[in-house]
Amino acid sequence: MTATKPTATKNKSSKKAKTAATKTTTKDVSTVLRQHVETEFANELTALEKEDSRQRPPNWRLSPWAVATYLVGGVLDSGVEISPKYVGSRRLMEIAIATLATDRALLLYGVPGTGKSWVSEHLAAAISGDSTLLIQGTAGTSEEAIRYGWNYAELLAKGPSASAIVESPLMKAMATGKIARVEELTRMPADVQDTLITVLSEKLLPIAELGTEVQASKGFNLIATANNRDKGVNELSSALKRRFNTVILPVPDRADEEVQIVQKRVESLGRALELPAEPPALEEIRRIVTIFRELRGGVTEDGKTKVKSPSGTLSPAEAISVVSSGMALAAHFGDGQLSAEDMAAGVQGAVVKDPVQDAVVWKEYLETVVKERESWQDIYRACRELA
Amino acid sequence: MATTLFGIRHHGPGSARSLVRSLQTLNQSQGPDIILVEGPPEATDSLSLLAEADMQPPVALLIYPPDHLQQSAYYPFAVFSPEWQAIQHALKHQIPVRFMDLPQAHRLAMRIEQLEDERTEGESAEGESAENERTENRRIDYEDVEQAIETDDRPPVDAITRDPLGLLAQAAGYTDSERWWEHMVEQRQDNTALFEGILEAMSALRKESALNNPPDLTQPQYRLEAQREAYMRKAIRQAKKEGFENIAVVCGAWHVPALTEPFPPQKADNALLKGLPKLKVKATWIPWTYTRLSTSSGYGAGVTSPGWYDHLWQSSQRSHTPTESAIHWLTRVARLLRGEDLDASSASVIEAVRLAEALASVRESAMPGLSELNEATQTVLCFGDPTPLKLIHQKLIVSDRLGSVPENTPLIPLQQDLQKLQKRLRLKPEAAEKLVTFDLRKDLDLSRSHLLHRLRLLNIFWGIPQTTSGKGTFKEAWKLIWEPELSIAIIEAGRWGNTIADAAVAYVQHEAQQATELPLLTHLLDRVLLANLSEVIPYLMQQLQNIAAVASDLTHLMAALPPLVNILRYRDVRQTDSAMVTSVVDGLMVRICIGLPGACASLDDKAAEKMMGAIAQTHSAIKLLQRAVHSTNWSTVLRQLCDRDNLHGLIAGHSCRLLLDEGSLNAEDAARRLGLALSLASEPPQAAAWVEGFLQGSGLLLLHDDSIWQVLDDWVTGLNDSAFTTLLPLLRRTFSNFPAPERRQMGERVRLGSQLSARAMVNDRFNCDRANQSLPLVAQLLGIPFPPQPFPSQPLTSQPFPPQQVIS
Repeated sequence: MTATKPTATKNKSSKKAKTAATKTTTKDVSTVLRQHVETEFANELTALEKEDSRQRPPNWRLSPWAVATYLVGGVLDSGVEISPKYVGSRRLMEIAIATLATDRALLLYGVPGTGKSWVSEHLAAAISGDSTLLIQGTAGTSEEAIRYGWNYAELLAKGPSASAIVESPLMKAMATGKIARVEELTRMPADVQDTLITVLSEKLLPIAELGTEVQASKGFNLIATANNRDKGVNELSSALKRRFNTVILPVPDRADEEVQIVQKRVESLGRALELPAEPPALEEIRRIVTIFRELRGGVTEDGKTKVKSPSGTLSPAEAISVVSSGMALAAHFGDGQLSAEDMAAGVQGAVVKDPVQDAVVWKEYLETVVKERESWQDIYRACRELA
Repeated sequence: MATTLFGIRHHGPGSARSLVRSLQTLNQSQGPDIILVEGPPEATDSLSLLAEADMQPPVALLIYPPDHLQQSAYYPFAVFSPEWQAIQHALKHQIPVRFMDLPQAHRLAMRIEQLEDERTEGESAEGESAENERTENRRIDYEDVEQAIETDDRPPVDAITRDPLGLLAQAAGYTDSERWWEHMVEQRQDNTALFEGILEAMSALRKESALNNPPDLTQPQYRLEAQREAYMRKAIRQAKKEGFENIAVVCGAWHVPALTEPFPPQKADNALLKGLPKLKVKATWIPWTYTRLSTSSGYGAGVTSPGWYDHLWQSSQRSHTPTESAIHWLTRVARLLRGEDLDASSASVIEAVRLAEALASVRESAMPGLSELNEATQTVLCFGDPTPLKLIHQKLIVSDRLGSVPENTPLIPLQQDLQKLQKRLRLKPEAAEKLVTFDLRKDLDLSRSHLLHRLRLLNIFWGIPQTTSGKGTFKEAWKLIWEPELSIAIIEAGRWGNTIADAAVAYVQHEAQQATELPLLTHLLDRVLLANLSEVIPYLMQQLQNIAAVASDLTHLMAALPPLVNILRYRDVRQTDSAMVTSVVDGLMVRICIGLPGACASLDDKAAEKMMGAIAQTHSAIKLLQRAVHSTNWSTVLRQLCDRDNLHGLIAGHSCRLLLDEGSLNAEDAARRLGLALSLASEPPQAAAWVEGFLQGSGLLLLHDDSIWQVLDDWVTGLNDSAFTTLLPLLRRTFSNFPAPERRQMGERVRLGSQLSARAMVNDRFNCDRANQSLPLVAQLLGIPFPPQPFPSQPLTSQPFPPQQVIS
């Protein structure tokens, strides 16, 4: 549950370019902005693989149990510590994994920022050892991106042939028996979405031009992520919906879970961006998370006062980006210590998405809740100055 | 000669199945010649009823002392209860069967003593008002009943005794002990060794628990536990003495080690059981429901999913494999969803079964349990949406099954209470229909009315209220008819309490708890007042307050107001209650006044009509209340509504009319507003709606007020043809509601043209002599002397019509 949308998106497009073209040479690990998770957590995966004696479904790198452990964390008998990738219910992860083991496709559904892409990436890495077979859904995604495209120079020179085909990530995954991922399924136009129906029900991809087909090898499956809250989404047709098992990832139940998520991600991001700032104090993160949770839930954490909710989703991912941008501010323009001033602008930007309604909501919240809290005076002043 | 001990889990289908199997195998070799079951020995005589076909579980065994009806103990049984199965087995094979627990005669007597102690202590400790004291004691009573209802009594130590198997399951890493049981027990072939295993495990648990928490016999709960086990041993000794050789003992797993031979010396047991207080008790059977068996209702037996257990039991009866069992369950789920118009195809059921099995194997258990099936349902059949699961929980997992008992079951306390009341109030149950009228000023009649209303609350429809012809609210007419079905209704109501009043209170509380909408609650409140159950009113008010605070539908709030105002204004409720009602009314008024302008915005025709009705109702309620602060606030709100531009005409017009009627708006102002509403700038349909709202109910206003008549007349004549055609239906609707004489007068007025004044019209048309001629007949019709005494010389003044204003 810890993906940050901005970084993830950047990465997705670069990966798409990578997988669509022939394999680019792997860059030096230390210079890439964000590593693939199978690289980043390679030692955890190897340790699990070594220890895992349970039965593995065909072409799976790990057994379902080990995949679940990889996602929710734990300590192995060999003493290797597996860091938790998903903070939340293990049962939910077990449902997702069991789904993939039954050859049904998995749909991770829910509001933005609940870690759908993050979970899908880790699932793919743990099951097939490869999280790069990715199709990014956008309003402009075409059928070719899902099925296959043509190398037109070759096509014109030799006519339709197997060598002229540019395989899509999905086709590759089917051929090799790996997990393919479709990000933001609901952003694709509905007719393109429906291309998946044949693949999901028949487990084959016909190539009409050559009169052949690609049959899925054992181990192939599909993880799609989709959200139901954003503007500009195309509802899934019920024919397609029926072919997925749907798992809804919830926003964290408890405040400390959410604080833990934000803290962990902020620290690792700070390391990746090589920010000179100190990692933020837990107290600051807790305040941000509290503000976000209260506005999202419409009631203060003590359950006594009702507050209005803004139009945005205020997911943990947004809290992460607020804190990390605050850290960048503190590092480059401040004294390196994350202060209320560094975060005020970010918080306001995250909350006020609609300039009229949300501004009222935010102001009301500042005046009725933030102002009343003794230890929150600095953040109240900082936000007042901006507002 | 042997005693076989069967340590079971109360209400565990797994235990029941293993028990039945073991009993059957025992039967083949050398069956038990007596079965002893944990339960109150007073009920042993009524066990034969269980063989009757009409006895359908879930039922509960009710032990009650006739002199202390509030104190009683319930022992619920479901088809999957091992005790039930053991008894059925015994009855089928004609083996004597007995209950062997410490008699409730002692336990109830001890509890009553204990309560007495607490009461006297409480009285001496604090000088609280008698009122508080009473409610306090009442609360204790309820709690106590709840505790007694569990087949296994209050845990003396901690969780260990309540569900020892659950604890073992937890230690093995299971969340659901039934699943652990399924896993550990059901798949095994060798069943008798199982009970030996349980004995071993329980001995270990008990030893551990005794080490950590040495039983202290001076503490009442430890003492009770020791006494119970002593009594059970006594019962086994007794059976042996009577010459029974193969004794089967069915009891909670926790008690098994205590009943293992060698027994402690008989003397010690007898000493424990010596000098116990005693009470006369009776036993009977009443129908029970799965809902009440589940923990979600207050009287639960600790079974969270009776419907699921029932399913497990049924599939074990048909010896289904785990997969078959899962398929049957998920098919039922799919059928339920389809019944609610949710998409659930057979293909999805197949996928759900596969997922449930895959989940079970991921979790390394042999068969999918309820949690796997639920998760598979949510993921495959509900597309991840958790809402339909609530329905499944309610309909399948808990299920609303109701048991039944045969007709020759001994009377339940509720019936006895009713018979007593019938005798006292001299109301005989008769099958023939009978009409009675009560004069509520008389005590006897009032009590009768209360009784009938209480029975109606409990869905025992002995009396059907009739409308009275006479004036005044003190008369109440009923049609009494005693149908045989009513006896069953009484038995069903028996689960709510042992006296009519108690049962009605418990039932109302239950209903109030279920209610999610205000109108339901206010309706309930009305009935409660009629039934004079003032003790439940505070609870209802609390509930009303809670729901009103989150109610988003303003019309509901407005609909809740009139009954409450009626209570305040007319009903004779106790002082405390009326204060409480006042606070609820105040809260409602504040919310209505704040919310109304917003709620009236952008309504369509239908909603506006509804809202207008609600406003009118609220208005008359506020008039009735006669509280200055509310009246002022309300007028302010109405004025706001009048002044709003973007409001539906119906509401604006009606608000204007209400203000005019109560005099806070004068006629000229009203005419001005009508003019504004009808001016060219406003759309004709909107204007017509305004007129409809304004004239709602009565057209007299139009006849009597020249300026308003004039404005309306000008507007209608000024409409162009097409607009007139469009508006005609709307106007017609408004005017057709007026009584015929009013319409006729209007028509005449229109024919005479707008120039003629009202006086001229009246004078022209009115012939005093001829009118006077008709007066004797009118007087005769009205039943008054003619000529009327006070004004013999002015017969016209006694005429209701034409009214004063027209003449002057």
